[in-house]
Amino acid sequence: MRHAARRGAGALLVQGRTGDLFAPPPAPAPVGVPEPRGSPVQLWLALWLARLPLVVVPSGAGGLRAVVADDGPRRVLVACNDAALALGLTAGLQLNAARVLAPALEVAERDARLEARHMERLACWALRFTPLVSLEPPAGLLLEVQGSLRLFGGLQPLLALAAAELAARGDRAALAVAPTPRAALWLARAAPGTAVESPARLAGTLARLPLAATHWPARALEDCVRLGVATLGELRRLPRDGLARRFGPALLAELDEAYGQRPAPRRRHVASERFEERIELPAELETAAALAPHCARLLERLERFLRVRDAGVGALAFTLLHREHRPSCVRLGRALPAADAAQWRGLLDERLGRLLLPAPVRALLLRSGAAVPVAATSAVLPGCAVRESEAAACALLDRLRARLGDEAVSGTRLVPEHRPEAAFRRVRPEPAPGTLAAALPLAPRPLWLLAVPEPLDLDDGRPCSDGALQLESGPERIESGWWDGAGIARDYYVARSARGARLWVFRPRSGERHWFLHGVFG
Amino acid sequence: MNVALDALLASSALWRAHGGTEAADPAGRACLPTGWPKLDAKLPGGGWPLGTLIEFLLPGTGIGELSLLLPALARLAAAAPAAGHCWLVWIAPPHAPYPPAFAQHGIHAERLLFVTAGRTPDRLWAIEQALRSGSCAAVFGWLDAADDRWLRRLKLAAATGQALAVLFRPLRRRAAASPASLRLVLEPTPAGLDLWLLKSRGRGPIRVHDAFGP
Repeated sequence: MRHAARRGAGALLVQGRTGDLFAPPPAPAPVGVPEPRGSPVQLWLALWLARLPLVVVPSGAGGLRAVVADDGPRRVLVACNDAALALGLTAGLQLNAARVLAPALEVAERDARLEARHMERLACWALRFTPLVSLEPPAGLLLEVQGSLRLFGGLQPLLALAAAELAARGDRAALAVAPTPRAALWLARAAPGTAVESPARLAGTLARLPLAATHWPARALEDCVRLGVATLGELRRLPRDGLARRFGPALLAELDEAYGQRPAPRRRHVASERFEERIELPAELETAAALAPHCARLLERLERFLRVRDAGVGALAFTLLHREHRPSCVRLGRALPAADAAQWRGLLDERLGRLLLPAPVRALLLRSGAAVPVAATSAVLPGCAVRESEAAACALLDRLRARLGDEAVSGTRLVPEHRPEAAFRRVRPEPAPGTLAAALPLAPRPLWLLAVPEPLDLDDGRPCSDGALQLESGPERIESGWWDGAGIARDYYVARSARGARLWVFRPRSGERHWFLHGVFG
Repeated sequence: MNVALDALLASSALWRAHGGTEAADPAGRACLPTGWPKLDAKLPGGGWPLGTLIEFLLPGTGIGELSLLLPALARLAAAAPAAGHCWLVWIAPPHAPYPPAFAQHGIHAERLLFVTAGRTPDRLWAIEQALRSGSCAAVFGWLDAADDRWLRRLKLAAATGQALAVLFRPLRRRAAASPASLRLVLEPTPAGLDLWLLKSRGRGPIRVHDAFGP
């Protein structure tokens, strides 16, 4: 089961199609997938962590705690603990109002990144129950458990085990089971503990749910209240075309998904594998050069780890643990994910050569980024020669970046834009097939462009640079960019200097009509 | 014809001061036509030698050094897609080369790679890496003072590949020893650009008057 989860990166779970897990993942087709006849009913277990924002931020000593986030111009509570709830604070309350109710409230800022990481760890844990785990940001997790019921001896033992393990992990999650993922999620939010196994009972259970369980936009929910609609059942009794006109097709689609009248494919969560290993050094080492053989040992282990998985990594971090000094870190990156220790070592040597150790090193820790599948190449097969040359092109980038820094190496792309200085942009280079822009300027452009136009001296009203300039051609009027505040209105000329250099000069059409040098034809 | 003489002439061990007009210089290196007929006529292989160092000595930036290389560069860029990806690398240029101008001449912006390196050792190292990687169709580096041993190293690195390798140095380095196979002095004139071929396989200084002219 774990194996299946690893293989099908990005696979979609389609209702009732649990049989072809090992098939290559189809192209994402989120809607309109027909349900095969006679398929077994799915059973989704939903976990909802209402307190997630509170759990992930470091807790203080105070008894009243809450997490806040920006909601437009206002600051509102997104989660609060039991003591705060008892005082009448709830999620969605404005911070000012909360301060009035509870002056001793201890407030922390929401950290979405920590929350995502927490959910990812939880998803890895959930893989022990089923290979079909799907994340529902921000705080939901969906598990398809129909296929696992026999293994765990039925639904109740499985739920009991999950609840016990969650408690042991220190997570407080609301659980609910339903034949469709969306219904399970809504039940977990509004009626935790509900377990609906048969699709026949689903509609009846959902009908009693309050609309707030859907987490639809606040405006839609307010409109429903104004219509006198409080539950899903009441909403479903309204005419469908009117609902679609009033709230848009998206909400109606969600409603259909919950009731199982419309397939709801889910993206499967795939646990990423990372390499992490630590070695204690035989003695404390004081020079970076002495570290190299130990780093090489770690890199060889990394290569073995990746080779058996047919995978590569794009980033590595060496942590050097010192005595009586905080650890220092050496990060390496590759443009193409790769496994080979020799090339990683080449990059590392560039860094170690210029590394100054703040203190003697007593241990080394190597952590990799997520391992991604790498296709093996062969020089014999057609098309592989091109890939080889791409690998060489990437290897050059890696080496240059390792020594000179990321920002010292740049590529460029054309931008369809009339303003000369905005007609290209610097990008992080990567081998890409060359494309010629369709819309290139017809007038000549200089091979060198000055970063900032240089004002030219005037001699008898004519521009000069090492002597008076002869205007050869022009003007080419460029007037553009009024919409973004960096508008220009200039007349460009090609000029020849007394020494023979061809220059690209311009005169602004308004303001002080100075001459500027913008480029050299070189 | 004399078979023995033909065999001798074909041998790469033989150095010929006045080579033929085929697209290879007397040392057997491939050459790339410069696109300027006057210059091609004066160069030993009928074009820029590939896989070795070429040195441009300039009194200043923007006097026509890029225009001189542009036809060859366009030819390299056009040949590149068949052979996979290759970079046209610019190491520490004095200004920003302007990608739209290159695109006007058929050189894809995606192929340009710019490297900024302030210190001379870093520049030399970057040039060597680019030459050795085998993934560059052209390597252009801007240098001032440079150790003769380093330049030899660059020449060896260039010989491992088939890149068009050009070093741009100020004119005041004219007297310094250099292992480059081809050294040119660029001299802007009101009419166009004059070239002095200081060193090109055994010939004395040759002047190419108005290189861009007909």
